[in-house]
Amino acid sequence: MTELLNATAITKRYGGITALSRADFSARAGEVHALLGENGAGKSTFIQILAGAVRPDGGTVTLAGSPYRPRNPQEAQQSGISPVFQELSLVPDLTVEENIWFRREPLSAIRTVRARAMREATLELFARHKFPPIRPDQELRRLTLAERQVIEIAKALSRDPQVLILDEATSALGPQETEWLLGLAKGLAEAGRLVIYISHRLGEVRQIADRITVFRNGATVAAYDTHAVDDETIITDMLGRRMDRLYPERKSTASQTVALGLRGFGVDHRLADIDLDLREGEVLGIAGMQGHGQRELFQALFGIGGSRGTVEVWGKPKTIRGPRQALTGRDGLALVPEDRRNHGLLLSKSVRENLTLSVIQRFTRFGITDPKRESALVDEMIATLKIKTGTPEQLAGTLSGGNQQKVIFGKMLLTEARILLLYDPTRGIDVGTKGEIFQLMRDLAAKGYAILFYSSDLAELVHVADRVAVLRNGRLAAILEGEDNSERQILRAALIETRAA
Amino acid sequence: MSIVDPTSRAGIAIANSGAAGTTPRRSRAAIWKSALLDRASLIIPCVMLVALLLVYASLRDGVFTLDELNLDTAAAMTLLLAATGQTIVLLRGGIDLSIGGMISLGTVLAATRFGTDPGQAAAWAFGIVAIGGLVGALNGILITVLRLQPFLVTLATWSILSGAAMIILPTDGGALPSGWTMFGVSSWLGLSSSVWLLALLLVFWFWFKRTRLGIAIRATGSNERSAFLSGVSPIGINIATYGLSGIFAALAALYLTTQTGAGSPTIGKDYILPSVAAAVIGGISLFGGRGGLVGTMIGAFILTLIGNLVFVLEVSSYWQPIVSGIILLIAVLASSIAEKSARRSLS
Repeated sequence: MTELLNATAITKRYGGITALSRADFSARAGEVHALLGENGAGKSTFIQILAGAVRPDGGTVTLAGSPYRPRNPQEAQQSGISPVFQELSLVPDLTVEENIWFRREPLSAIRTVRARAMREATLELFARHKFPPIRPDQELRRLTLAERQVIEIAKALSRDPQVLILDEATSALGPQETEWLLGLAKGLAEAGRLVIYISHRLGEVRQIADRITVFRNGATVAAYDTHAVDDETIITDMLGRRMDRLYPERKSTASQTVALGLRGFGVDHRLADIDLDLREGEVLGIAGMQGHGQRELFQALFGIGGSRGTVEVWGKPKTIRGPRQALTGRDGLALVPEDRRNHGLLLSKSVRENLTLSVIQRFTRFGITDPKRESALVDEMIATLKIKTGTPEQLAGTLSGGNQQKVIFGKMLLTEARILLLYDPTRGIDVGTKGEIFQLMRDLAAKGYAILFYSSDLAELVHVADRVAVLRNGRLAAILEGEDNSERQILRAALIETRAA
Repeated sequence: MSIVDPTSRAGIAIANSGAAGTTPRRSRAAIWKSALLDRASLIIPCVMLVALLLVYASLRDGVFTLDELNLDTAAAMTLLLAATGQTIVLLRGGIDLSIGGMISLGTVLAATRFGTDPGQAAAWAFGIVAIGGLVGALNGILITVLRLQPFLVTLATWSILSGAAMIILPTDGGALPSGWTMFGVSSWLGLSSSVWLLALLLVFWFWFKRTRLGIAIRATGSNERSAFLSGVSPIGINIATYGLSGIFAALAALYLTTQTGAGSPTIGKDYILPSVAAAVIGGISLFGGRGGLVGTMIGAFILTLIGNLVFVLEVSSYWQPIVSGIILLIAVLASSIAEKSARRSLS
């Protein structure tokens, strides 16, 4: 089979920083081709070049044998290359269908949008690719993060692209939607399209990719047939050094002290009858299909939205009516939120300001802040978490995804709260940082922190958590530990009976 | 299948039963509740308008007559035209203060240049609209190229245009052709020209909001980055948005001269903040992306009715801005409460 897409010696510099030095990439029609690499390896720059959002400084790209030099995203799409970016391109106040067909709406004779034609096209698109059920007339801002990601994919597919680029597309999806997307990618490849698949989840890559290309420090280091290479080799190629394990050693450090006790805990009809004990020194995993109450549990514990039932924190009954009440020093709770770019960080503020935002009182005397004490706290956090930032004054928005997440961890740790609520803390961050975050979680547990940990990646729950509580339809379906703490058992607990419900 | 049936989710869910069904079913009542909450920002001003009308009718006879409609529409029309442009700018996520200067400039140009020749008057009328469009386009270019806040750029152009109006006609006055000032009193089928103009505005809006430009303006106001990534031109959208606002400000000026029969270099400032208030009462978000002209129209009528009420009640006219302010607060508060409960009932 001939190559559909061929990129040779692509270079791209931003000022003094080289994003791509010698990137080569070649892929055929009819395959799923995984592009792997740590954050900062140049994957994003490379696909932005393919997508027409960035122009390379050197090198050549050919598409189906002819030179390919898109001047903007529209030209790229006209050439048949459609990207699904991690950073979504959707508009919150337009409806689902208006978003999918934005700028390409079917027009009537008086230049207005033909609503019926657009609806039909949307339903046809949804049916053709077996999309999860989402109302086309719903405004996008009413959708969950996962549903928005699905619509982003629909928007890309609506152009019927020859090349579909999926950048971390499953990071926002639940297990069922992930299954759907993987099937979709394989189906497109079988229909003769090229799917370029970027993911930090090796399991998914193994499941669907025919070939793998690995980037490191802006250059291509290897390209394989998927079945001819093992995970160790891939990870070594990505890291450039042998990484012992992604997951840290799990030594149970849980004591008998209950840090957070829930009895009959619930949130209107979406979460009910939750009895759960999170112990000191324990990492307790929370699992479930998307939309089965995990988010409500975390938000209610942090005091967002109402709740019922009793909550005991370190043995004392407690009502949490808002984040300020949740964040009361050593006896408090701290949350790593789902959407770090919008809810966790002030992107236009410095790393220092983000870190100390919640804890200004820790270095304030008589209403005046003490910059020396502040910078001592900040420097300590940057060092402990190995946050890669030029200076503490660098803007948080300019850090890589993994480092942004570390800043949020730092912000949370500075509150001195010893109960940590981590909602999908590794979403969309690279393997190296993931490993560091898992290690940090276990270290914190060993120091007596109690950690409630939700992840959309089941493997993380299995390997990092001591026990896993599975939610189904807003109720506790099972608590799995030891041998039972496996992906198979979690899925079984999360899925069985859902069809009847 | 109905296009807008709020229960259509169930139908789609069945059609796609082979795919992952992760969204829990919602009851009919819950669906209707969320449909109502979604439209709360329009329902609330409607309720307020009806309430004001009932109060007004209890104080005065003949409120629900064509005469009253003709009168109130004429009273509201200048504000409405100005607020139409403002609505478009607010949907884009901007604000246009320069309409004050444009309205003043428009009235003084009309009052000094129209003369008595109908041809010359018509030419100048088009000229004024063209100036409005050009000034607006200039606003759009300055905002995009200099990357300045719309508030500051249009504050500056407001000041410049006001100064220009002062130079042309330092005090209120001038004259307009008698045929021109007949516009307000002419009628057809029992409805005044102002009511027909209102209908025309509605037709324009229902066409405009369904064009690609209309959608793109709303999208850009909702999320600029996403819109630009999807191929909206940043400078194009700003030229179109502020250009339209300038054109509507010029139309407001022309309409105003048919009512007053004179030019005024200072009158425009009376429409700047009321145009924003009318839009906000009508449910338009200052953050862009949400709302429509129907809401603004209701807002403009609410503001006009408050004026009528103050008059009928024979209290000091200073009560008008006080009541307007209170109504504005109620409208904003009510839609924000509705938005919060909509979000709660869904997420």
